[in-house]
Amino acid sequence: MRRREFVFRTGGSLLAITPAWPGLRLGSTAPWLLVPMDDAQTDHLKAYGLAYRALKRGVKAEWLLNYRGGTFLLPSDAGTVRDAALAGVMVEPLDDGQVVQIRGTLQTGNMEAVPLEKPPKVAVYAPPNAPPWDDAVTMALNYAGIEFEKVWDAEVLSQKLTTYDWLHLHHEDFTGQYSKFFLNYAGSAWLVDMVERNRAMARSLGFQSVTAEKGAVAAAIAGFVDRGGFLFAMCTATETLDLALAADGVDIAASYADGDPMDPNATARMKWDRTFAFHNAQLELSPTTPVYSDIDGHQVNSPDRRQPLGSYSLFNFSAKIDPVATMLVQNHRQVIPDFYGLTTSFTRRTLKPGVTVLAEESGSPWVKYIHGEHGQGTWTFFGGHDPEDPQHQIGDAPTDLSLHPHSPGYRLILNNVLFPAAKKKELKT
Amino acid sequence: MALCLRSAVWIVVLLLPTTAWSQKAGMSRAFDLERRGDYGGAADAYRAVLARTPADVSALLGLERSLLPLNRSADILPEVRAALHAAPSSSAVYGIALRAWAVSEQPDSVRATAERWAQIAPTEEAPYREWGAAELGRQNRSGARAAYLRGRERLGRPDALAAEMAQLSLSEADYTAALAEWLHAVRRLPGYRATAVSTLGQAPAAVRPDILRLLAREPDIMARRVEADLRARWGDPLGAYRTLAGVLPADRVQAIAVLRGLLDQLRMLRSAGSKQAQGQVLEALATRSPEVQAARLRLEAAQAYTMAGDRAAARRMLGELADDRTAPPSVASDAASTLVDVLIGEGKLDEAANRLAELRSRLPPDEYDAVRRRLALAWIKQGDLVRADSAVAADSSVEGLAVRGRIRLYRGAVAEAVELFKAAGPYAEDRAQATHRTALIALLQPLERDSLPELGQALLQLEQGDTTRAAAGLERLAAELAPGHGGAELHLLAGRLNAVMGKTTEAERLLRAASVKEAPSTAPAAELALAELFISSRRGAEAVEILEHLILTYPESAIVPQARRKLDEARGAVPRT
Repeated sequence: MRRREFVFRTGGSLLAITPAWPGLRLGSTAPWLLVPMDDAQTDHLKAYGLAYRALKRGVKAEWLLNYRGGTFLLPSDAGTVRDAALAGVMVEPLDDGQVVQIRGTLQTGNMEAVPLEKPPKVAVYAPPNAPPWDDAVTMALNYAGIEFEKVWDAEVLSQKLTTYDWLHLHHEDFTGQYSKFFLNYAGSAWLVDMVERNRAMARSLGFQSVTAEKGAVAAAIAGFVDRGGFLFAMCTATETLDLALAADGVDIAASYADGDPMDPNATARMKWDRTFAFHNAQLELSPTTPVYSDIDGHQVNSPDRRQPLGSYSLFNFSAKIDPVATMLVQNHRQVIPDFYGLTTSFTRRTLKPGVTVLAEESGSPWVKYIHGEHGQGTWTFFGGHDPEDPQHQIGDAPTDLSLHPHSPGYRLILNNVLFPAAKKKELKT
Repeated sequence: MALCLRSAVWIVVLLLPTTAWSQKAGMSRAFDLERRGDYGGAADAYRAVLARTPADVSALLGLERSLLPLNRSADILPEVRAALHAAPSSSAVYGIALRAWAVSEQPDSVRATAERWAQIAPTEEAPYREWGAAELGRQNRSGARAAYLRGRERLGRPDALAAEMAQLSLSEADYTAALAEWLHAVRRLPGYRATAVSTLGQAPAAVRPDILRLLAREPDIMARRVEADLRARWGDPLGAYRTLAGVLPADRVQAIAVLRGLLDQLRMLRSAGSKQAQGQVLEALATRSPEVQAARLRLEAAQAYTMAGDRAAARRMLGELADDRTAPPSVASDAASTLVDVLIGEGKLDEAANRLAELRSRLPPDEYDAVRRRLALAWIKQGDLVRADSAVAADSSVEGLAVRGRIRLYRGAVAEAVELFKAAGPYAEDRAQATHRTALIALLQPLERDSLPELGQALLQLEQGDTTRAAAGLERLAAELAPGHGGAELHLLAGRLNAVMGKTTEAERLLRAASVKEAPSTAPAAELALAELFISSRRGAEAVEILEHLILTYPESAIVPQARRKLDEARGAVPRT
């Protein structure tokens, strides 16, 4: 493209877009762009993508914690203005004086400016045939426009995780029991495929059973966090990951999974010192009840134990003293409707000391959203399957996030994706 | 001693009504607490009643209900034991007891209770049904099956608990086994047919031929009815009618019941085949119904045949109605207007006009005008705008104005057409027609011409289904007009028509011609259409490029949100709709 043509196209486009955004005036030379994250924002979820892509282009951004719902401050450049216009993200131009004023405001309250330096390299743990619409995190990443790569057992066990900063697990069953759907959904095509795929993978990696192989995968994931990785898990991956880690040498799988029945004394023999978040859980002994333990407070698949959905409240943290927890709860809503998953919530009784509770249903025996450190890394567990599909069923139509651009539940997911950018880290080895 | 005895009798006499009264008051209080949502209080109140009368089934059921929301269902066990002791032969108490053992996760006690219950009620299915339900509550399907089979064996009836066995087979996706059980159930209790059909109807396509083959082997009418209903659900409505036609009972009342059952199924369907089958069923019903009713059924059959496109059958029905002197006047006039519609559908417009003229005095004015409008539209399709105009010349309804607007447009009288469309407003005809009119106004207004016969000719060709000639005519005219004065709009329409015809290259050329800066209100729509063309041609990268251009260049356009949505789709950021 000739320079004149380039200037005409780019300049023409930029001039044309400015009137669309109330804050941007024709010919505006504002050096900063504020991405408000309160109710003024037109697409909260895509705003995360805007910040992520700015980092990717080498722009240094700031996350203004607790300021207007967790606002982003970006240097104004043509790329960011164009990106915001295309994504439909509301941005407000600021001059240096206004930025100084905001910094003054941050100083006086429970607020903090956190520099965002490096976009995290994101991996999503999912089988190769997993539909892109069956995982809230994949949907959020796709919608926001945040790049990610898929990994599964072979990649995890071949140390490929060392090349990523952030790993997400969704509804994988790390106990190797196919979400305990084996008997109740016997004959269903999707289950047959899931079983076959997992068995083939276990065989190819030299394991006797899927249970043994998933246990090794869980250990490798724990190693990734131990060496400084960021782990985010939702739904049943939270509970089964810890159960798989604690079941070192203990048979917690039904006979359909590994050929012999579960150890009746498994509960007493679990090694809770190996886990991230939970301890002293009571295991579910029935092979047909799609429940693993009493870690989950809602027990959605046990008709006589199932608890109704309520709402969960986000905690307030000190932005200056505890910026990590503060980042994870940035939102324009404090109370959010709950949603089911195979693991919906985490009973307080089974939480290890030192676990940070980020959100809870007040007055209930369970919490929703937890965080902690493990070795040099951190982990965050978020109960439930899909924040905008509270009663998700197998085979339900996919959630279309363009219908939920302000979803507070999905914001929590995206807080997790971006928060590793706030910490300058060396590449893990 | 005698005095003591007399006193005791008096005490009993005095206490009896008092006890009954307090029992009644206790139940009222318990119901009230339960209704108010105070389940803990209600449970205590029911327990107080049960302390006096342990086998009070209402109180026991109330306690069971109240404990459920408290998640303490198993706490009912002491009261259940006392009730069984007080009323060892009450089926109702056994039912509650069995559920109580089930929630306490004591399967052995469930089994033992069911066996005891079966001994006191040896001919009832209920003990085994509740036993099976308890096993299913534990997700133990094999246990439930064993309970049902034991019941079947004990009761000595191979069709006992068939509905439960059918549901069990369905949960295991064994549709052929479910079919066998449903046939048992339906033969014993015909009311099960609807459930049988609705559950078997969900069978995967691969299993359906097996189900139909198995049904065909069964000799009885009940199997034929299930087969017919399933064929209707699975897209073979004509096969459904054929299945029943040959085996209808000789008894008139029974035959009508069978036909009505199929008609109910067919009325839920929209396809032409289902309308044809509806016509056949209604015709069959007419032959078995009293005269006055038969006339109405023949009319409905004619209307169904018309919708199915079988005009010969519709005419046959209407002919029978014409000969029927007993048909009520309302049916006769409906039949006459239906016949006019049939004639219009057959393209026999002169005959239709003559028939309509004869009917004028018999039809309500609104209906007469509606038929005339349909006749006018048919004249338009045939290209006879003069007769079309005369058909609606006196029609001052908003629907009439809309039709007259179309006639003016096809004659090329652009300004008059716009005025008539505006006068018709957004309420004439259905929503699709109203939207179409709005689009036409948007097309015509930039032209700034009073008359444009070439445009009328092209749009008439489009109305007549000649899309190729219409698109060519629009393109020729577009080339003569400035982009900002209708040229771009006509290029856009021509491009869209080519896209519909699958002529991608021509469509792309025309849409690009419509996307010019001289027509800023048309260009965004043209770019969106171009992006949709690229997406449907799997040219995602080009779609992304054009959508980005649209959003950045026309940020104030009303279609920008739609463009962002398409951009998300093209990038795979949201599910494709």
